Amino acid sequence: MNCQQAYQLISAAVDGELSCHEKEKFFQHLAECTTCTEEFNDAMKTKLIIKERIIRFTAPQTLINSIMHLTHHCAQESNL
Amino acid sequence: MNNDKQNSKIPAEQSTSSLSVIEYQKQLEFQKEAVVHLNALYNYALHLTMNTDDAEDLVQETYLKAYRFFNSFERGTNCKAWLFKILKNNYINIFRKNSKEPGKVDYDLIKDFYHSIKDSSIDTTEADSDYFHSLLHEEVYQALHSLPEEFREVIELCDIEGFTYEEIANMVESPIGTIRSRLFRGRKMLREQLETYASQRGFHGGTDR
Ligand SMILES: [Zn+2]
Repeated sequence: MNCQQAYQLISAAVDGELSCHEKEKFFQHLAECTTCTEEFNDAMKTKLIIKERIIRFTAPQTLINSIMHLTHHCAQESNL
Repeated sequence: MNNDKQNSKIPAEQSTSSLSVIEYQKQLEFQKEAVVHLNALYNYALHLTMNTDDAEDLVQETYLKAYRFFNSFERGTNCKAWLFKILKNNYINIFRKNSKEPGKVDYDLIKDFYHSIKDSSIDTTEADSDYFHSLLHEEVYQALHSLPEEFREVIELCDIEGFTYEEIANMVESPIGTIRSRLFRGRKMLREQLETYASQRGFHGGTDR
């Protein structure tokens, strides 16, 4: 595997989405290539930072209530 | 995540009398399988619509449909993925096909939220050791939203919601190879954007190791 091939696999490697065969070849390349190793580490960090730092909103209580109400309502309707 | 599934909200006196046992079981299962993902769906809806009212409508529509068609949900598969797929289809139907204009982008929402978490959430002990850790919630949010939609979407589904490539491919109706390359290119753009923010505040991206 050359750098260009390894480069294309970085995202999938970060997500644990490589096939067994790809995985073996990919990490074999990383073992002997510092450039790709750095790219891989940066990609890992990027994934982590998105996960850690992204703003997550909490659903408003009114929405939660209406979903609960919704399922009750449907259930009663379909029971008629 | 609000884990209060509110099972207790089903009034005991009516559950067995006015509802059939089967319907009652369906409700319980629906709450256990589907309603627990409400927050994730709400966030996905917000990312798509960028507006709280539209997001709430979208989530309501989604749950209404999901409940109606709950029998067609394949037990044992990922219910969250199933719900996301329904939400995405709803979104396309409402905002694309009927060419309904999405509501105004709610920037205040982001700003307000940012200010509400600002004091508690920024870990200053790490802030000066690594530029990645110096990034603020708001910056990561903005960087993500600066990406074209097809790239932003796969990153959200993969990194934030933790779906597999196969699940994402099914949701956005594209082959896995396309998901791979969108993630690859999307993350690259995102990293460049994040490095720009970091360097604007005096961190030198990538070279501080
Ligand atoms: Zn290499």
